[in-house]
Amino acid sequence: MAYFLEKQKTGSTPYVLINEEKGYMKFEGDSFHENVAGFFKDVNNWLNNYLKTDFTRFTFDFQLVYFNSSTAKLLLNMLLELDEHASDKQIIVNWITTEENDIIIECGEDFQEEVSNLEFNLVII
Amino acid sequence: MIVDMLEYYSFIKKFNIDIIYSGPLWAEEIESIGGTLKKRMEFDELPFSASQAVFSVFVEQMNNMLMYSAEKQHFIHSDNRYSEMSKGVFILGAKDKTYFVQTGNVIKSNSAEVIKNRLDYLNTLNKQELRKYYKEQIKNENANPDSKGAGLGFIEIARRADSQIEYSFIPLVGERSFFSMFVTIGQRGN
Repeated sequence: MAYFLEKQKTGSTPYVLINEEKGYMKFEGDSFHENVAGFFKDVNNWLNNYLKTDFTRFTFDFQLVYFNSSTAKLLLNMLLELDEHASDKQIIVNWITTEENDIIIECGEDFQEEVSNLEFNLVII
Repeated sequence: MIVDMLEYYSFIKKFNIDIIYSGPLWAEEIESIGGTLKKRMEFDELPFSASQAVFSVFVEQMNNMLMYSAEKQHFIHSDNRYSEMSKGVFILGAKDKTYFVQTGNVIKSNSAEVIKNRLDYLNTLNKQELRKYYKEQIKNENANPDSKGAGLGFIEIARRADSQIEYSFIPLVGERSFFSMFVTIGQRGN
């Protein structure tokens, strides 16, 4: 049974969607909860296991508007893990933001420098 | 004794203070005050990047308070769950669309030296250097999972601040100090 997770956003946690069947993950909204690691625990657990399976293509749409420094740490970790598996699989990260969101754009540029195998698209909408 | 509210109100006005909070802090409370702050910036028609910067400084300062406060309030929920909440005081204010966030909380004296060294170092770096340092620290902390990540929060604050981070430590009895930190964020939002 393919994994499916959907969490609605709250004041300090984002909307999260994981659709394993489609090889798709999406984060949207804000992330600054005091216990960010706890919030993303099931996402991380799923991702760890999923990356070991023999999928061919995975897309991650990142669309956070604001995230705190604890979330930044977690996100970079996630990207590095994806990157490790991207040499023999097609992994696409769409870092989606708006032109006015300088902080997210800058962070996207910085994180892009850290990955080499996955396809990282900085998408300004 | 009844507080002289007019005197208090005049004081708040004089220092351009919009929000004062004192007491225990928890995640939902930070969300709720954050919501008030966002609304206030909307009224001020602050540009998006500047309001993001103000919000970011607010969130990181709150997280630092949660992490470092040595003054705790204990609470037992109706279902017997136990919570420990950090206490502190902070003010938010604005003058001519330059915002400021000041926090105050009791810390252990041995944390004072660590925090002071961090802030002094951050105050020597320019924005480009801070950007680079932030990325380096994320990588360090990921390689070192035991770290609570407080260092990163201070760097983020320094990145968004439009001048140096001001701070003070006042020694209290019993190996404790009162730590206060003051940050301003301008319209550019850096």
